[in-house]
Order: sequence, then structure tokens, then C-alpha cells
Amino acid sequence: MNILRVSGLTKTYKETKGNDSFSIRLGNLEIQEGESFAILGPSGCGKTTLLKCIAGLLPPDEGLIWIGDENITSLPPEKREFGMVFQQPLLFPHMTVIENVGFGLKMQRVGKKERRAAAQAVLAAVGLSGYDSRYPNELSGGQQQRVAVARAIVSKPRLLLMDEPFSALDPGIRGEMRQLVRDIHKQFRITMLLVTHDQDEAFELADRIAIMHNGEILQTGIPTEVYMKPNHPFVARFIGSSNVIQGECHQGEFRSNQLHIKLPTKDEVPSGPGWLVIRSELFRSVSSLEEWQLKGVLIDVKFRQGYYQLQVDIGSMTLHMLESMPDNRIPQVGETLFLSLDSSQLHYIPAIE
Amino acid sequence: MNNARLMHGMHVVLTFLLLIIVTLPIISLVVGAFTQQMPWPRLWPEYWSLRAWEYMISPTSDVGVAIWTSLSIAAAVTVINILLAVPVADALSRYSFAGKTWIEVLLYAPIIIPAFVSVMGIHITFLRLGLTDTSFGVMLAHIAPSLPYMIRALMISFGTLGFEWEEQGRMLGARRMQRFRHIVLPHILPGIVVGSGLSMLVSLSQYLITFLIGGGQVITIPILLFPFASGGDPNIAAAYTLVFAGLAAAALWGLDVLLNMYYRRR
Repeated sequence: MNILRVSGLTKTYKETKGNDSFSIRLGNLEIQEGESFAILGPSGCGKTTLLKCIAGLLPPDEGLIWIGDENITSLPPEKREFGMVFQQPLLFPHMTVIENVGFGLKMQRVGKKERRAAAQAVLAAVGLSGYDSRYPNELSGGQQQRVAVARAIVSKPRLLLMDEPFSALDPGIRGEMRQLVRDIHKQFRITMLLVTHDQDEAFELADRIAIMHNGEILQTGIPTEVYMKPNHPFVARFIGSSNVIQGECHQGEFRSNQLHIKLPTKDEVPSGPGWLVIRSELFRSVSSLEEWQLKGVLIDVKFRQGYYQLQVDIGSMTLHMLESMPDNRIPQVGETLFLSLDSSQLHYIPAIE
Repeated sequence: MNNARLMHGMHVVLTFLLLIIVTLPIISLVVGAFTQQMPWPRLWPEYWSLRAWEYMISPTSDVGVAIWTSLSIAAAVTVINILLAVPVADALSRYSFAGKTWIEVLLYAPIIIPAFVSVMGIHITFLRLGLTDTSFGVMLAHIAPSLPYMIRALMISFGTLGFEWEEQGRMLGARRMQRFRHIVLPHILPGIVVGSGLSMLVSLSQYLITFLIGGGQVITIPILLFPFASGGDPNIAAAYTLVFAGLAAAALWGLDVLLNMYYRRR
């Protein structure tokens, strides 16, 4: 019904003083009703520009935007019935919390009583009952952003857009806000489009993710699929696979200057140049008596809750691995590690000519 | 410690000096307004007199008409200035376009170039249009010297208003006029008040423009004051000056009351 469809969208900025020319080019993007969708990419990849085009705040050069059967490409943002949460709360400073939340309804000429009731309901949903008559400057940053979320959803938008909504908040509060958005998404079944550079945020909040780079969407899929089977070395690196090795595949065997590894035969691996992705959790440290495939010297140890992040120098290159150290031994820099590799989960990205 | 005491001492001395500089002329003005004559080198009058005030409340003085004309012209000028300056200041402070600097120079020119220069041109044009000797013509002519102050005050307000607020307003369904009323106006209101105060004062104190365009038919307080000040009767001039000062103070106070009413209503 209210499926968002974006097709063939392009937007180019000409080179101006201090800014290089920049463009986004989008094939197709479809977001289902009730879905939570994230566009993930580094800063400067064009994700905010894309979001503003969808919101209607920027006119695209080409392309069409549909909501269901309605072509909204040239509809001004105030008539799109979308909600938006920006990076900053942007609460109107001269209005109280309840006036801020009721603003959208007031613009639709909803009566005062009705407005108040609706605003109080969403304020309760974001955990801010009783804050009605406070002014924004009397709230903490996290509370302000909660009000901003409440204000964006109070008029039941067809699509809720969020532009890096929590990146200005303290890390602790960020986690709380993510949980809040998850709860709200479940409770109100709002279609959500989130733009972020934070992998954790995207993985936690989104049903599906699109990875954006240099103005183009490289891959779209559910989080596990994007993580396990990246289709581009940038995607692999960006979502945290630290071992992306360029080389060549020939008859099921991967060769690079540093490594020779036999790939699993269950998938058909195309021959030719490409990248091998070894996720850091696929390595396991074993004793020298067991079967091992790689040997290296430990050069860096970082302890994370419950596991270690290790860097192992295997002579020709450095590998990144996660290890939980089952025997409770604390790994020491300088020691020699023997590694086994779960090669059934290796992933090969053939280069596109 | 010593430094702080020295600073405090200087603070006291400077405040005292400032008070003297500001109050001395006012004292002599008040004294002058309530006496008949004060032959040199006396600093205090021989006897007090209400002659100046008796003249002022007499029907021949026209003072009531002058107050009304002065205030109504100043108010009308200010309203027109607000209407003109809001879009101009918005464009100049938040958008960039070709020729922006030149437009700014042109708009600020009346502050720098003596009013006399522009009034000569305005006068000829108004003669052709039949606008001389009318309050309406005087009001139009007052816009030139007062508009730059209004624009300047509003540009500062617009300079601190990012586009993101209106974008947020649009996402909440606010149309253009709704955005102006609920988002832009509350933000620039302090600028409007400052600009209005300046605009009122500039309009109230115009003599030359009023004299040339009004041709002696449009009587404002400065028009009445000037002949007495330039040698006619310093006592009556002093009394008029007090009336003028009271008028200016009343105008500023009125703006303040309006602003407070607005904020209390919210």
C-alpha cells in the first residue's frame, strides 16, 4: 500500500568554492510498508542528500519517487506526510514540549484538545510523561531527541526519516535511544528509513540495510546477508570484515602474494581476480599439536568484553581475528599462535570487469 | 587583589563621569524650561517661570497636532520598514546572489550620504507627483534614512536562523505562511523590536527632510523646535526638547510593553 519506491534518482552538485563536484546515482530502492530500512555509509557518501531528496527538501535532477501508486516526486515536503528526525533535536525554543509535539497537528488544524491528547500519548511512548510544560532548554540532549522523535511520529507519518538521529548524543544514551526506536517501530508499525554511518546502529535497528559509497548503493539486503556475503570489497571492509585480501581464484583455489587457501567446493566459485573475505571470527587459535593452517606472531591484543581482538603477523601480512580464549589464558604480545580456519564460511568476491 | 581594587576604583570614577556627562545638559535643560531668562555668567536663575509651558499649552503653539503628526508618521514609517526589511534582510543575510554587495552598499548609503543630497532628488520627484506638503509624502521620505537601521537589525536576527528550522517545519507540514508565523517570526522578533526603536527615533528626529518635503505644512515637533532653538527663545526651545525627549521615551516604552504582552501571551 504505502511502499516507497525510488527509481533512477540522480543529484549532482557542481563544483563550488571549497567543494568538489559530487553526485548520487541510484538505481532502484524499495522499502516495504512497516519495514525498518537503513542506508549505511561513511560520511560524504551522499546518504543525507539521498534522504533529503526522498523528504522533498532537495529536488532530484532525475528520477521518480513513489509512495504506493502516488508519484510524489514534485510534491513539496509539507504535503508528503512524512516525519523526520534530524541529527539535532531542532525543538522550537519558544514552545513547550507539548506545543512542540503538537506542532504538526496544529499545522493540520487539528483542535487543541485532540492535539493535546495525541501529544500526551506519544510523549508517554517515549517515556516523557509529565514533561508537557517544560521548555526545550530545560531538557537534557537525550530528552530533547526523544521529544523530536515524539513530534515526528505524532501525526502518523507515511514514512519516518531519520538522519543520523543519535550521533550527537553520548554513547550510553545512544543505546537507550536505539532501544526506544525499536520499541516505537514495533508499537506503531511505522515505515522507517534511517541514514547512518554507524554499523551497530544500522544492524540493531534495520530489517534491511543498503550500503552506500560514493553516491551509489553497492548492496542491499538483510544484515546477516550483507555481513556474510558482501558483494564488494568496500562493503566487506566497511561493515567490519578486517581481512579482505586481493588476489586471484583458480579452480577453487585462492592465491594472492601472501596466501594460498583452498576454497569450499559447495559454492561454485568463479575463476578470475577478486577479493577473499575472511571474517575475523573464522580463525581459531589451536595448539601446535592440532591441525593448523597458519602460523604467526601476535603483535597486538585488545580485550573486549568476553573476547580478544588480536592482530597476528603471519610474515607476509597481518591478520585480524577475534578469539575468546577458551582456556582462560591471557594472550601475550610476541607469542607464536597456530591458527585454524573455518574455510566453509570463506567468501570470495569476484572482480567486476 | 590590588588590581581588583584599582579596577573597582576606575569603575566608580568612570560611572560618575558618565553620569555627569549625561545629566548636566538635562539639568540645564530642565532649569532652562522653567525660567524666564538667565543672564551670563549666572548658573542658576533669579526666579522661576512657567512662561514656556504656558505658551506650549496655548492654542497658538500647535504642540498637540505636532505630537500626533510626529508619532503617526514615525509609526507608519516603522510598519512600512518592517514590511520592506524582512524579505530584504532575509535575502541579504541568508542567501548569496550576484550583486549582493552592491545592493547592500546602496541600502546603507542613506546612513553615510547626508540626507540633504537624497532629499533634493526626492523633492523634485515628489513635486511632480504632488506629494510635497503632505504627511504621506513626509512619511515616504522618512523611509530612506530609517530603513537601513531596520535592515541591519533584522540581518543580525536572520544571521542566526539556520534553514534547518524551516526544513523541520516543512517536514511537520507547515506551509510557507505557517512557517513564517510560527518559526521565523518568533526568532526575528527581538530584531524587529530593536529595528523599530531605531526607526521610530530616526523618524522622530528628522528636521531637514520634514521641512523640505512638508514645506511647513506638515508640523512635527522638530519643526516647531527649530526656530526657537536657532535664536528665537531658548526657554521655549528647552521646553520643546523635553517634550521631544518624552515622546521618544514613550515610543520606546510602548514597544517594550507590546513585546512583553507578546511574550506573556505565549
